[in-house]
Amino acid sequence: MKKLILFPILFLILSCQVEGELTHTLENSVPITPAAMLKYHGTFVPTNGIVVSGEAKIYLEGTEYKVQLEDFSISSGPDLKVYLSKAATPTDFVNLGNLTSQTVYPIPSSVNIDDYSHVLIHCQQYSHLYAVAELIQN
Amino acid sequence: MKKLVLIVVLFVNNAFSQGCSDAGICSINHGFTTEEKSFKNHIEIAAIFGTGESDVRYVSPYVSYTKRFNDSFSFTSKVTFSMAHGSFGTRSQFGDAFLIGNYTFKEKNKKQWGALLGWKFPFTASNLKINGYSLPLDYQSSLGTVDLFLGTNLSYKKWDFNAALQIPVFNLNKNSYFKEYGRTDDFPSTNLFERKSDALLRATYSIKTTNKKFTFKPNVLFIYHLGEDSFENILGQRESIKGSDGLTINGNLITSYNISKQSSLELSLATPFVVRDVRPDGLTRSFVAGLQYRYSF
Repeated sequence: MKKLILFPILFLILSCQVEGELTHTLENSVPITPAAMLKYHGTFVPTNGIVVSGEAKIYLEGTEYKVQLEDFSISSGPDLKVYLSKAATPTDFVNLGNLTSQTVYPIPSSVNIDDYSHVLIHCQQYSHLYAVAELIQN
Repeated sequence: MKKLVLIVVLFVNNAFSQGCSDAGICSINHGFTTEEKSFKNHIEIAAIFGTGESDVRYVSPYVSYTKRFNDSFSFTSKVTFSMAHGSFGTRSQFGDAFLIGNYTFKEKNKKQWGALLGWKFPFTASNLKINGYSLPLDYQSSLGTVDLFLGTNLSYKKWDFNAALQIPVFNLNKNSYFKEYGRTDDFPSTNLFERKSDALLRATYSIKTTNKKFTFKPNVLFIYHLGEDSFENILGQRESIKGSDGLTINGNLITSYNISKQSSLELSLATPFVVRDVRPDGLTRSFVAGLQYRYSF
């Protein structure tokens, strides 16, 4: 029985991570400049059992579109992603990357922003939708 | 003193490397172990040091236990651990658990056949992160797949021939690394990676010194990756990874030293002669030195 308890303890002790030059926490991601134009915005609504607050805003900065999460907080999750989606569910989407402490997520230039109607927060590893923001044109 | 000198000489000899890791198929020939039949139980402790793609360095220890039930049937269990270090940082975790059954047929005309059936179970979904940043498979301790091993072995005089298949049966891989967001071009995207099977062929020749203290086992290892791996791109569409299929050829030299009747020390050094064009699974090693201690009782 003791061995059974020992194994998960060993598992936790021996599992470790040390950041490197490519995984330093970004204290301040590049902010949206005042000259950027607000094109779309939407307020996040949680799915069942999730707590979320804040807004998703899409700005046009020069020729690049960016999603900014404002006053944003959400229940923690193991593998949360920011999706730009064509629907309120993650079926046809652009994966903008991991939800981290950064607040600005550039949208690839190949994406036609007018085709997308929602910003989603989705847990990819467990395929669980956390929050939905329906975009309204500004 | 002689033992100490031997160990030092073996460690400074670092002019070799290997094209595959200990993730599975490369070490499967240990499941065919048939040499030591006077003991029923064998424990192995090993540490594998390697250099991989870009600037990634590895230390991958494992422990294994083999139970010999009779002259024909044995069972091996093995647990691996991996620590990867490079520009992304250091990430360490348990890798996989192996359960392998081996059946050895009776020798006929100096030929002895063996058969092997085994499973590999991952301890992770291959989505370990550092500071919330997704990591390439090169930093993951497991491929995140439940794999089936099927193999056969032929021993003829001083030769050993192994053939094996490693088949991913259940894909639990939830890796979320995108090259687009990775701040480096050194690793391909492997988001929700799906891996194809491998086929292995190995030919080994054994040379024993007259005092039977040392055994040298030069061997050549052919691994054919039976299809292109794939990943889900940023648009949620599955995309094949061109050049991820094909042949890897490794040369490997194993040196065993019998410390006593019950214990032995083994060093494995290897180098790849041919590698696949693209190696997204993170199994490539440009240099590997494995040191193993084996105790029988």
